[in-house]
Amino acid sequence: MTSLKPKKAMTAQQRDRIMVVVSPLVVLIIWEFCSRMNIVDRRILAPPTVIAATIVQLIQTGGLLTTAGITLSRFFAGFFVGLIPGTLIGLAMGVSPWTRSIVAPLVAAFYPLPRIALFPIILILVGLNETSNVILISLGPFFTMIITTMAAVLNVEPIYKEVASSFGARPRDLYFDVMFPAALPVIMGGVKLSVGLALLNTVAVEFLVADNGIGHLIWNSWTTLSISQSVAGLVTAGIIGSTLFAIAGAIEKRVIPWAPESR
Amino acid sequence: MSGEIRVRGVTKIFEGPHGDVQALAPIDLTIAEGQFLCIVGPSGCGKTTLLRIIAGLAAPTEGEVDFSIEHDGKPLRSVVFQEQGIFPWMSVLQNTAFGLKVRGIGRAERERTARAYLDMLGLTQFADAYPRQLSGGMRQRVNIARAFANDPAILLMDEPLASLDEQTKLLVQEDLLRLWEGSHKTVVYITHSLDEAIVLGDRVIVMTNRPGSIKSIVDIDLPRPRNVLDMHSNENFFNIRSRIWTALREEVLTLRQREISSDVA
Repeated sequence: MTSLKPKKAMTAQQRDRIMVVVSPLVVLIIWEFCSRMNIVDRRILAPPTVIAATIVQLIQTGGLLTTAGITLSRFFAGFFVGLIPGTLIGLAMGVSPWTRSIVAPLVAAFYPLPRIALFPIILILVGLNETSNVILISLGPFFTMIITTMAAVLNVEPIYKEVASSFGARPRDLYFDVMFPAALPVIMGGVKLSVGLALLNTVAVEFLVADNGIGHLIWNSWTTLSISQSVAGLVTAGIIGSTLFAIAGAIEKRVIPWAPESR
Repeated sequence: MSGEIRVRGVTKIFEGPHGDVQALAPIDLTIAEGQFLCIVGPSGCGKTTLLRIIAGLAAPTEGEVDFSIEHDGKPLRSVVFQEQGIFPWMSVLQNTAFGLKVRGIGRAERERTARAYLDMLGLTQFADAYPRQLSGGMRQRVNIARAFANDPAILLMDEPLASLDEQTKLLVQEDLLRLWEGSHKTVVYITHSLDEAIVLGDRVIVMTNRPGSIKSIVDIDLPRPRNVLDMHSNENFFNIRSRIWTALREEVLTLRQREISSDVA
């Protein structure tokens, strides 16, 4: 089907692909320059080459990969614990007005609270352990998926429902063949948002209570004034984040192959 | 071939925030089985409402629609919507087979049927494409293929070609007639184009302004099979066209008068 794609989309794609490398590289070069020239204090912000060396050293002797693995598994646990029930509740709210009117006030009450402010309560309820970490991480994806999934279902073009019912579709056909795929682009948007939120809270939780993980590395290095280690942790978190986003984007392309090319 | 659709005293009143709006005055209409009926009328005259009532997508406020058309086991009616009615997440083949899938027909059989209609409409090579990869004309062919593949006794079409350019429209009209002429299906076709109504229909109904009622019924005695591309140079075509236009003209002028006075108010 490549031949059917307009030529312009190809160049836009190429541009995106080139900029993925060029854009961060330019920032790194400016950073390196500023740091080396002491335009910013290099004791606080070491140049990228020094950070890179620190990262290599941390991988070899500081167990950085294990640390990253701990953060990743914490992230995934919280992400899915929030994502799956959130999506299901959102679907139910989108489909059933009753569910919507029962659950909506609760969501409205909890959603705007800063999630991290709920952490003390979670700690009291669950205790200072991994479960409470996972619960806090899950809150972002949970509420985000409730809200986006519900909106996605409610905003499905009415004509799709009409077409389905004019062909005599049963509820099962309507939900699986029409409503869900029609809502999927917006739902996938929520999934991408959830990745960011879950990662944010993973690092936050590691700042606060964990004694391992990237967040702990960043915070602990800072408190011991090993700034370049702290920044190395930050960079690792950045790499993890952008990798997760790339994976989410690839999954999106995979499950919505029919979506229009980047607009 | 003796069945019919009988629309008896059908009215429709929409309850709105600014009071009720009567969309349809009582409408009585008999559509013979196998007939290609076109409905024209000024904008907002309720023609789409009438079609939706016949389609069972909306309930009449009063009156009823009776069907005495045999459709042994096959669906009674299918609707051809405008372009947006195609599912963007389904391939052309899946779209075309949708009605059959809903009816529980096995994959192999429904895909065979769907492919046959795609063949007839020149869409074979796009069977696995997604709608976004098609032109507007091709998308409307998919819409038509989907309705025909479902093999209903009655086809209800709501301005299906309205968004197409003139040349594409002629080509799709020709495809539509070719499919229909062998099918004995009853068709109710809404359009705002007089030419289209005459080219396609056995009979054209002109509706009045809101509340819509039937202003006049014109039989189109042009021979079939019809050649869409040559129709517009047929002398008879112009006679019929001017007869229908005389009826429609009044309504269009009344509509304009109404709009002007409501603008002032």
